[in-house]
Amino acid sequence: MLAVKNLDVAYGHAKVLHDVSFNVQKGQMAFFIGRNGAGKTTLLKTIMGLLKPQNGSITYQEKEISGSSPEQLYLQGMRYVAQEKKVFGNLTVRENIEIAAYSSREPLDRALEKVTGIYPKLKGFLNTKAGQLSGGQRQILLVGRALVGDSNLLLIDEPTQGLAAIVIEEVGRILSGLKDRVSAVIVEQNLAIVKRLADRIYILKEGKVAKEIVDKSEISDTRGLEEYL
Amino acid sequence: MIYTILYGFTIGAILYFISIGLSLTFGTIRVINFAHTLTYTIGVYMLLTFIGYYKGFFFISGSLAVLVVIPISYVIERFIIRRLYGESLDYTFIATFAVTLIGVDTIKWIWGVSPYPLSDPIGAYLAVWGMTFPLYRVFIVLIAILLFFALDLFFKKTIVGKIVVAALEDKDGVRCLGINVDKYFSIVFILGSALAALGGVLYAPISSIHPYMGLSVLLLSFAVVIVGGMGNLKGTFVSAFALGMVMAITARYWSQGAETMVFIVMAIVLIFKPIDI
Amino acid sequence: MDKGKPLQTRSDKFREPPAGLMSTPMKERRMTDFLVIAACFLLLTPILSAHRVTDFMIFCIFVMSFDLMYGYMGRLSFGHMLFLGTGAYCSGLFIKYVSGNPILAIFVGILGACALGMLIGLIIVRTTGACFSLINLAFNQIGFFLVLSPLRGITRGEDGFGVRVSSFSFLNFANPTFKYWFVLLCLLLVFYLLKRVTTSPYGILIRSIKEDETRVKFLGYNTFFYKWLTFVLAGCVGGLAGTLSALNYNFVNPNSMDVHSNVGVVFASLIGGAGNLYGALVGGVAYMLISNFLPIYIHRWEMFLGFSLLIIVFKFRKGIWGNIQGIWEYIQKRKGVGRPEEGEAVKR
Repeated sequence: MLAVKNLDVAYGHAKVLHDVSFNVQKGQMAFFIGRNGAGKTTLLKTIMGLLKPQNGSITYQEKEISGSSPEQLYLQGMRYVAQEKKVFGNLTVRENIEIAAYSSREPLDRALEKVTGIYPKLKGFLNTKAGQLSGGQRQILLVGRALVGDSNLLLIDEPTQGLAAIVIEEVGRILSGLKDRVSAVIVEQNLAIVKRLADRIYILKEGKVAKEIVDKSEISDTRGLEEYL
Repeated sequence: MIYTILYGFTIGAILYFISIGLSLTFGTIRVINFAHTLTYTIGVYMLLTFIGYYKGFFFISGSLAVLVVIPISYVIERFIIRRLYGESLDYTFIATFAVTLIGVDTIKWIWGVSPYPLSDPIGAYLAVWGMTFPLYRVFIVLIAILLFFALDLFFKKTIVGKIVVAALEDKDGVRCLGINVDKYFSIVFILGSALAALGGVLYAPISSIHPYMGLSVLLLSFAVVIVGGMGNLKGTFVSAFALGMVMAITARYWSQGAETMVFIVMAIVLIFKPIDI
Repeated sequence: MDKGKPLQTRSDKFREPPAGLMSTPMKERRMTDFLVIAACFLLLTPILSAHRVTDFMIFCIFVMSFDLMYGYMGRLSFGHMLFLGTGAYCSGLFIKYVSGNPILAIFVGILGACALGMLIGLIIVRTTGACFSLINLAFNQIGFFLVLSPLRGITRGEDGFGVRVSSFSFLNFANPTFKYWFVLLCLLLVFYLLKRVTTSPYGILIRSIKEDETRVKFLGYNTFFYKWLTFVLAGCVGGLAGTLSALNYNFVNPNSMDVHSNVGVVFASLIGGAGNLYGALVGGVAYMLISNFLPIYIHRWEMFLGFSLLIIVFKFRKGIWGNIQGIWEYIQKRKGVGRPEEGEAVKR
């Protein structure tokens, strides 16, 4: 589904990602963990086309997409859910979904079904301004909205950040339900979630892939991972 | 005194028509368009031409004038404004002012420099409370109010409006939903320019027409947008009428000071609430 | 990403013209500068008239004052004419009502502009960007209105008033030749002064503020004070230009404070190349030539100017001087002359 090779990304003269390479197979969830500032958000943004890499290639569905725009990638099934749960606060929940539906040319009721399907309680909030939702509700709205249209690859940045334990459970459950339906690259700090959902884990340290973990049991020993973080 | 108030409202209405486009352009594209009132001027001159053809049918000529401005503003947006995204103020100023120079000179070329008089198209009076008000001025104010509600509806109910509202809040967010935001911002720009032309058309019969008329209004519309808040629809509406009133009242007691008073208000607002550009 | 271009680090911006351009030591260079500048203006004189060139020189002084704020400090003002007008009116009124002494008049003119700059600078300098531009515009407009209406008693409003200077020993302002040399001298003095200022540590500080004010603040500098100082200095020189224009025309009217004339100064600064005293001079002359002579040859000169400006903004940002410098640097590099500039990455 997605293959990133030797990716170099810089902000002006400051290089943020060095020679990053990884793969995501169809239906798999790859998780990126690492300290703040390691470059995880930069990585997702670059894949989505919001940033241009200096070097390297990104292959999506067997096509080279490095340099494509976010608008084009959305229409090819890529979905980016940014950090900090940014919704369109001035619009209602329904309108938030309406924009996605309009863009992917999906009938609004089908789109609404997809979103409320993963979280029926959202039905009661359809006419509420999205800015008034709680953090968890917004995150779920964003994930649901990402399913509108033909979505193939989700890029999610820190979905459980700032959420209470109960809500994290809820979000985890929802993401779990998406496994095998979509592929995903998820940035996460919550190791329990990572352990539960990941098919593959990458540790990003100072812009480089410090370690690739295939065997999830390795993650239980966080002290052992210290050197990679 | 009542007349002063009416005149204040009239000026306010015209300022609203002109400033709303400027405000929207800044709120969306984040470019301060110093060529904004060029479409105002073009609208007026087009009106004159069409009135010539249509033998004085003001409303048809006026509507046509506004429509003609649409492709012109598209050209300005496509070739100039779009290149000024994220540009610093000085270059934006020079570039857009250059457009004004070109535009004004073109107008002088085609229509000449001498002022044209145009008379009140309605010419009727409203007799209320023992006083007579020019109906035309009342008409202008009513249209402005209508416009306010129409714009409100547009941004709340249409998908284009909703996309713009969303993009104002989070442009990248909208882009990541597969929508080419710039295209919608262009629509907003053209809409704003057409409204400025409408303002020109409506004001033409009660003002003096000359190629530089856009420049005198430009500075005033800046004041309106700054006082009302860039990109703030309701604020622009209120500040347009407020400043219109300021002008009318100042003009009554101190005829040359009207515009200066507006600038004083603008300066005060800027000092206490500096804008972030 | 452009891999061919050398990395431009911050130190680039604070350099003087590159070593290659003038490799002679400071003092000698300055003398050369003066002679070159004086020579350029002298050369123009037989082509245009002395009176015209005097005009040009006064405008160049004004452009230099504007560029101090715009090019060096990065603040675009839409109301710089306020200082020109203040200088003109202060000195004019002084001559009319107090004394015809030209030296005192010049002093009063500059003082007036200085005082104004100090006062409104306190308010204005806090702001940046469009805010700064528009507040200046507002004050300019207020000033214009003041001389037009409320102060009409002394300023004669729209009509303006004549200014007759009395001779003071060898300073005979009635003599156009004298005026010419006097203005040229002023221009060279201003140039020298500003050159010293902009290449001093203060000048570097100002440029740092333009680039990244927060960083300079963190280094402990009171940026407000330095910005204010620059504003006042720009005002003073602007006032000098105003005073000179009053003495030159023997006349003062509200046109000296006309808001719309600000456009010309901005253009001149840009055409010549902002952030550069030579650029200010080149731009000043260029703009004066354009606005005075172009209308004669090209009927639709405003349109022509408009298109030229668009081309400059989109293609030739650095202005005339900037591009000349660029070409010179390029030639030097090709020749292999001059060391690699500070901060230039080694080409791979």
